[in-house]
Amino acid sequence: MKREIGILGMIICIALGFTAGWFIPGLFVEPTPTPLIDQIKDRGYIIVGTSADYPPFENKTYPGGLIVGFDIDVSQMIADELGVTLQMQDIGFDSLIGACRAGTIDMIAAAMTYNAERAAQLAASATYISVRQVVIVKNSSLDFPSPITNLTDLITFDVGCQSGTVMQDELDAISGINVFAQASADILMQDLNAGGVDAVYVDGPIYDAWKNTFDLRVIYSSEEEPLALWTRHGEPALLYEINKVIFDSYQDGRMNTLINKWFGNVTA
Amino acid sequence: MPNLFDIFFYIIFHGLFNTLLLTALGLLGGFLLGIILAIMRVYGAKELIWLSSGYEKLLRGIPILVLIYIFAFGMPDLFWYLDLLDRPLASVILALALRSGAYQSQIFRGAILSVNPGQMEASRALGMSKIQSFRSIIMPQALRLAVPSWTNEYAVVIKDSSFAYAVGIVEMTKAGYDLGVGFTDLWALSIGVVAILYFLFTYPVARVFGERQTKKLKKLGMGGG
Repeated sequence: MKREIGILGMIICIALGFTAGWFIPGLFVEPTPTPLIDQIKDRGYIIVGTSADYPPFENKTYPGGLIVGFDIDVSQMIADELGVTLQMQDIGFDSLIGACRAGTIDMIAAAMTYNAERAAQLAASATYISVRQVVIVKNSSLDFPSPITNLTDLITFDVGCQSGTVMQDELDAISGINVFAQASADILMQDLNAGGVDAVYVDGPIYDAWKNTFDLRVIYSSEEEPLALWTRHGEPALLYEINKVIFDSYQDGRMNTLINKWFGNVTA
Repeated sequence: MPNLFDIFFYIIFHGLFNTLLLTALGLLGGFLLGIILAIMRVYGAKELIWLSSGYEKLLRGIPILVLIYIFAFGMPDLFWYLDLLDRPLASVILALALRSGAYQSQIFRGAILSVNPGQMEASRALGMSKIQSFRSIIMPQALRLAVPSWTNEYAVVIKDSSFAYAVGIVEMTKAGYDLGVGFTDLWALSIGVVAILYFLFTYPVARVFGERQTKKLKKLGMGGG
């Protein structure tokens, strides 16, 4: 009997230990969290999440392995404005929103299009650039001899897109298209080149970045859609700073310099 | 345009350290946890057996990527004392250790049980306490017996460490992938190099430790393999 009581006591102690261990961190973290902007200034760096497989918006240098791109330069302007250093975190595109909500990253700069579903989960900045979305096929493709006027012309074809993007939502909304959602743009391009899909639906600048590698042509391009930087809800001070940088940089020409640097004369 | 040597160098330079770090710490954590669970399972009272086998069943039923997401994004304050940038790494190590612990406890349980129970009786008859005889008679033999199957666990953990790319850690898979993004023509080649590197870090270890130990044990008349 003594033995059973001892074992039972041990189990209860373990359970209590785990529970206490669970709640102790809560005692150390301040009950009213300081605004994110103050946390960033205190720790001296801002963590910006991106998915570094989307040239020219973001990709990695060789052989240094540094993340570079248009979004990174925009983030650098924001970091300069806050007086902190910039830390990039390279996460898969469809994990970015979860990571930002969880607080693993402070801001998303990953060519993320504005739409209502995302705005419900995260706070969007002002539009920092607008891009067209294009449907591209291999130049040798016989399925589409002439440009199409509507996405519904893609019905019955196999169309690739990046998972978690607005392009996927648009394609999913049209029944009859076989949608192949891939984790990243480069896999998409490999897939198109290998004949795995008939067409892919991506942001315009992506086509410009890849057209030299593969023999491609555009058969459809959408209206320009706004891209935004994203941060958590309930952080007005940080959002104000981000928007201020976007407006200021458009006014004093820094943004135009960046656009010319990364997109050249291509109409983005 | 990088050549084959450059690709090997880039992936090793940017990814090898994190891969080995994740593997080493994941295995170490799993080792400690696995031994404790195995002892609980073999010598424990009913409640402890229930606890450890329940833990094994739970952890063996969850994919490693899901575990990593749970610790990295599901419980962002889990490593509240660490720097914000180090938290993803800590969550991956925790996930690998907890998962590996569940598997390693099975390995050690089998090893402890495969030592002849007569040895325990003999050492008790010589006047050693139960803890003494476990520590100096059973355990040394059990650990030797566990080596061949333990190298298999190493092979599993080093390959599972590739899932760390999902929370933004640059290890070998991610490094090879990044190179493929930069040089599209080399996409398949760089992923192939990653495959070769994983193989090089897996097969020789399994060969040296696993097969040699099995032969050695056979000479001593221990083990079945």
